[in-house]
Amino acid sequence: MSVLTTVAARWRVQAHLDFMWMTKDLRFFLINVVGDVILNLAGVTAVFLLAERFDGIGLWARDQVIFMLGYAALVRGFLDVGFSYNVLHISRRIGRGQLDHLLVQPQPLWMGLLTEGFMPFSGCWSLLTGAGITAWAVVQLGAGFPVQWWLLFGANLLASCAMALAFSFLWGALAFWAPVAAEEMSSRAVGFLYQLKAFPLDGLSAVVLTGMLTVLPVGFVAWYPSRQLLGIAAPHLWHTPLAALLLALVAGIVFKKGMEHYAQTGSQRYIAWGHRG
Amino acid sequence: MPNSLDLGLPVGRTSSAMAGAVDHIRAARRHLKTMTMAAVRSLDDRGWVLAGDFGLRLLRVLLLLSLWRTVLPETGATSGMTRAAVLTYTLIAEAFASQLTLGTGIELALTSGDIANRFLRPAGVFGQFTAEMVGAGLRDLLLFSLPLFCLAPLLGVNPLPAGVGAALLFACSVALALLVAAALDFIFASIMVLLEHSVYAMMKLRTAVSALLSGAVIPLALMPWGIGEVFGYLPFAALASAPLRIYTGTGDALLLLALQAAWVAVLWPLAHLMWSANRERLVTHGG
Repeated sequence: MSVLTTVAARWRVQAHLDFMWMTKDLRFFLINVVGDVILNLAGVTAVFLLAERFDGIGLWARDQVIFMLGYAALVRGFLDVGFSYNVLHISRRIGRGQLDHLLVQPQPLWMGLLTEGFMPFSGCWSLLTGAGITAWAVVQLGAGFPVQWWLLFGANLLASCAMALAFSFLWGALAFWAPVAAEEMSSRAVGFLYQLKAFPLDGLSAVVLTGMLTVLPVGFVAWYPSRQLLGIAAPHLWHTPLAALLLALVAGIVFKKGMEHYAQTGSQRYIAWGHRG
Repeated sequence: MPNSLDLGLPVGRTSSAMAGAVDHIRAARRHLKTMTMAAVRSLDDRGWVLAGDFGLRLLRVLLLLSLWRTVLPETGATSGMTRAAVLTYTLIAEAFASQLTLGTGIELALTSGDIANRFLRPAGVFGQFTAEMVGAGLRDLLLFSLPLFCLAPLLGVNPLPAGVGAALLFACSVALALLVAAALDFIFASIMVLLEHSVYAMMKLRTAVSALLSGAVIPLALMPWGIGEVFGYLPFAALASAPLRIYTGTGDALLLLALQAAWVAVLWPLAHLMWSANRERLVTHGG
């Protein structure tokens, strides 16, 4: 069986389990749907209200801001669909010793990480919210975007998701060396990206802005690719994919180093004096 | 020398009034100790994580300040707020974010199973969580709020309150905000138990909704369509908007304090009622 077929088969299993879990109870289903929609909307509402109140923010017209908010919500939606069950929050799995549960499976680690967090039914509500906001913004902008633009939109969106994932893995790898202290490191890193992803960064000083595009790459989650796609800045549409590739490379190296350390020390989960005893 | 309160004398040997007073003092000491433990807990092996958190918060305040400088004119007032007042509002909101958006952590105790231990301790469950919440707030006050306050002039923001009276009333308002926050936490926890819903989803939902409705990110007065006025009467506004408006002198302090007090009076009995009605349904899942 080819790798792609295996991945698809794993996704199908996860999709089935997710569907069964999501539809086990009508009340549970409704609470999840309403909760996810509210959560994703609340994440972008503050900036939307500002844009509405002031008819845009700086260089950004109101509808352009809404496009950026939709883009940001889509990134969150894709991560919810593809990397739930603490795959995105990888430091939790490392810190709690749950990485062992993946390592004992008869498949490569990367395949487990790529497929185990797939939740197409319970995670799709954030994605649909993002798609709705983006569609509305595109209609409001009234620009007939060509096919080429949509391809670039897709590539940038994928790169933004990869950027957030790589950032979480980069920081989360600290849990290999400090499982207790860094158990929630990925949550902090992702929480930071999610909190600030919807803000236009144009007014920041050069130093802080550089930091927001390198050390803490929140700018690449929505702001930078959106301004390129909408022509607010010179269209260097390959910047975000390139930045994502670089960060993924760094995250991969650090994660591999962490795994080597983990091979020496093992998990604290199953020893009597470990923090989870 | 043994403390007279720790002699362990049977209650029957003292007068009943005396015994009541001793019990109250003992309870207060227990809660004070809990507060102290909560204040220093994260400094043992998580000091660098705390430093990282503070760094991220500093970046967030820089971003928000730049945002307001972009959208608000340098002179004149917008919806009754000058740019200087909004910058002070934003800086103080971040400086006191831990105090104004505090949670008791009861949701995590529910999901980790720690709640079972809480019932075994010689103090009320509400008291334990509230003391821990206040302790965590004190830690952030010393390690983040005060440094950011001192840093404010470098960020081009005047951190001082509208006046001495405003500062005093702000302190009262923060105390009331803490009470509203704790009551809301217990109400959310009760709803969570009632609905048997995911702890994390509920926590995220509460944080996202209260950040928006409390005015902690955007002053309610600057929201469009006048919805800020409506939000101003909701309990979430008692968490951040009320103290911050008092601090910056952009609201009627007495009216805001009265609203906060009214929410405390309504929410605490409701929290007790809901918790009592739902505690028997409690099932924990382990960590």
